[in-house]
Amino acid sequence: MSERDVILEVEDVHKSFGGLAAVAGATFDVERSSITALIGPNGAGKTTLFHVVSGFYKPDHGAVRLDGERIDGSPTHRIVRRGLVRTFQLTKALTRMSVLDNMLVAAPAQPGERMWRVFATPGAVKRREEEVHERALELLSLVGLERLADDYAAVLSGGQRKLLEFARALMTEPSLVMLDEPMAGVNPSLGVELLEHMRELQRERGTTFLLIEHDIDVVMTVSERVVVMSSGAVIADGPPDDVRRNEAVIDAYLGSPHAHEEVHEIAGESSS
Amino acid sequence: MTGLANVQFWAFVGVVAGIFTIFSLGLQVQFGFAGLLNFGHVAFMAIGAYTMAILVVKTGLSLWIASLIAIAVSMGFGLLLGLPTLRLRADYLAITTIAFGEIVRYLALNEQELTGGPQGTINLEGAGAAARYNDEWLDFQRTVQGWLEVLLGDNATRDVTMLVIVWTVALVAIVLLQILVRSPWGRVLRSIREDEDAASALGKNVFSYRLQALALGAALGAVAGLFFAFQFSFFSPNDFEPLTTFFAYVIVILGGTAKNWGVPLGALIFGFIFAGTRFLDVWPLNTFDSAERAYLRLIIVGLILIGLMAFRPQGILGKREELVVE
Amino acid sequence: MTELLQLVVNGLVTGSIIAIAAIGLSLVYGILKIVNFAHGDYLTLGAFVAFTVNVTWGFGMAGAALAAIVAVALVGFGLERGLWRPLRRRGSGLIGLFIVSIGLALVLRNVILLVWGARPRRYDVDVFQVYELGPIRLSQSQLVVIVVASTAITLVGLMLARTRLGKGMRALADNRQLAAATGIDADRITTYTWLLAAGLAGLGGVLQGLLQNAFTPSMGFTLLLPIFAAVILGGVGSAYGALVGGLVLGLVMEVSTWSALAGGIPSVYKPVVAFAVLIGVLVLRPQGVLGRARTV
Ligand SMILES: Nc1ncnc2c1ncn2[C@@H]1O[C@H](COP(=O)(O)OP(=O)(O)O)[C@@H](O)[C@H]1O
Ligand SMILES: [Mg+2]
Repeated sequence: MSERDVILEVEDVHKSFGGLAAVAGATFDVERSSITALIGPNGAGKTTLFHVVSGFYKPDHGAVRLDGERIDGSPTHRIVRRGLVRTFQLTKALTRMSVLDNMLVAAPAQPGERMWRVFATPGAVKRREEEVHERALELLSLVGLERLADDYAAVLSGGQRKLLEFARALMTEPSLVMLDEPMAGVNPSLGVELLEHMRELQRERGTTFLLIEHDIDVVMTVSERVVVMSSGAVIADGPPDDVRRNEAVIDAYLGSPHAHEEVHEIAGESSS
Repeated sequence: MTGLANVQFWAFVGVVAGIFTIFSLGLQVQFGFAGLLNFGHVAFMAIGAYTMAILVVKTGLSLWIASLIAIAVSMGFGLLLGLPTLRLRADYLAITTIAFGEIVRYLALNEQELTGGPQGTINLEGAGAAARYNDEWLDFQRTVQGWLEVLLGDNATRDVTMLVIVWTVALVAIVLLQILVRSPWGRVLRSIREDEDAASALGKNVFSYRLQALALGAALGAVAGLFFAFQFSFFSPNDFEPLTTFFAYVIVILGGTAKNWGVPLGALIFGFIFAGTRFLDVWPLNTFDSAERAYLRLIIVGLILIGLMAFRPQGILGKREELVVE
Repeated sequence: MTELLQLVVNGLVTGSIIAIAAIGLSLVYGILKIVNFAHGDYLTLGAFVAFTVNVTWGFGMAGAALAAIVAVALVGFGLERGLWRPLRRRGSGLIGLFIVSIGLALVLRNVILLVWGARPRRYDVDVFQVYELGPIRLSQSQLVVIVVASTAITLVGLMLARTRLGKGMRALADNRQLAAATGIDADRITTYTWLLAAGLAGLGGVLQGLLQNAFTPSMGFTLLLPIFAAVILGGVGSAYGALVGGLVLGLVMEVSTWSALAGGIPSVYKPVVAFAVLIGVLVLRPQGVLGRARTV
């Protein structure tokens, strides 16, 4: 146990809305430089848990630690500055700004985001802007959006918005990226590239990924570890092969509306 | 009234348009760029004008120091207003800020000791001392007039001088704001206006930027208040009714929300509407007396606001794709 | 103690007018998503229509009030068809409609000024008649306001609670989708909402005119912020909430002048008390009294 290098710890987190317990006692951790998948039937509380971890909601109970320090209750922007960034299931592209501006606004350490520096140190602002610009174009071409850089983000399709959000999250130079259904609506071949890029970042920069994903093929191929949530709690946690044989997991999916397809998928009967 | 051919008259219209440009630029920062529905903007004008007047008349401070303090005090009130209210929904923010503006006006109206009460600043400290800030301003204005005479000769009258001073300040403000909104700072502000959750998920401190926008707008409001005081010498709480804030909204929306150059454009058109309805001698305007023309003017302003929102919500210079209010 | 009792009664009088206006404003706000800044001017219009009927044409106050209710209701209905409905179809949002309503407020108030002038007006009623109920003194106008307002509030309350239409209105104000699912005819309800809201505003204006004795075209606007405060206090869209909010505000405004409260607040600051209550409540509960916390 002591060998494991943990970046994120979620400990007995609870969050309810009125009478409804969306997250009810979720506990798990994420190892540094790993790719971990968070799965579970619709309504299991995955997105809500992301909101809690990223500081949008304060948990009713429990703790969240990043690099061993409590972050629950911290404001979102501070958590981001400590290296944890997340994307949204329902994308939040800034549609009245250009695709490129969507990227640039995400860059950290831009002195020109302080009012007085705009006038006091225009040189430093310009230098940083050039660096950031280069990185933005690099990431945009990675997700195949470089040709749309100067268009309003409003013109992007749903899948393209997912890609933009992925690239934009990487602009913040994160150590932990939490992706909420990043492949939904994305062209499958681009999806494959996306996964490859995640692996590359993992290898080269040691970036950690925690992703919510429904496509079981993706989950099984890309992640080293799978955490399964149901009714707000974590019901299984382990390597993909163990999880797919777990009784509780199969039961949980049986209780869900899409029981049939999902159980088949979980059991590894889908084509691959 | 031979108003329409008269240089003095147009200089006056221009001065008022310039003051409204500065005032509305403040609103442009808050509403246009930060998306904050501040409907109490006039309070910052009032606080700027009154703070300066009170300091000069009652404590004998120099006009310039008093003016700087007035701007700082106004910004302080901006922060004070923002701390509890910036987390509110847009509609609640609108109502609360109007309430804030009205509280300031009621205080000016009823704290006679401090403000001179309903009669205004003429009542600050006896007729003799009341206009002290005005004297100091006129000294300065004469100096500038001297410089201008070199360029303009006899045309450099008092009104023209004021026109030049006000518009110089207005243009400097526009250029500085233009630099700001095109900077990374402005980019963050726009992202917050569009989706505060997206902005905070990218590491931006939404609250801090909104406060900055509110304080910057308050400073511009205060500067407008100072010029208002210099131009009209005496003023009273009635000059700071919510209507003045609405005018600024008309100007901002007319010129184009989130477009700095839209503000002087909107203010000039607004100035023409005011001057035109006051002095044009054509039918059907000539069937109304001057009080009735004032009502008519406001009816026209109201109709413009409605028409703009219905047919061209992005204003003259705005882009449909960047629409701020739908 | 007598002073307090008197202030409580005054507060109920003021509060019942605020409540009458706030119920309509809140329904329009909740059902149609219009933050109607012109609502105060609907009150003013009512007061002036009644003035013409009562003073210029010489009819009694009851007839004048009825005429005002009908006239303002028709104006409200006309504006729905001529202004709000087309704007809704163009897809105007909450803020856009709010700004439009400011334009409308300017137009209405200045049309009233153009037609009736800026002079203070009074109704042709006996202002010296005073009734004594134990230690409390009530002017005739105050008595009329209390009786008429409580009757109106009771009738509206019954309508909202018992009739199909009223239930539909409340359902729509609460939740549009839910209401649509239950097969409520939204168009019909929109029409009735405006008739009710504007009619009540007309009545509120007449009552306020009576109470103030002399009134000018800025009367409604002066009352507007306390009305909004009542709506937000009571929870946007809740008619009963607006009623309670209005009465509470009326009471707070009057009782704040009670001399036992450290000499009492000068009565010129009564509106400021209402604003302070509003701001205070929103600081404690930014989502409004009945609202839910903002979610991502
Ligand atoms: N803001 C909210 N208010 C009320 N209920 C919510 C809210 N957000 C989520 N829920 C409920 O919480 C449960 C978990 O939702 P969510 O976290 O989105 O699940 P998942 O992402 O696993 O599909 C669901 O029943 C959902 O309806
Ligand atoms: Mg989800």
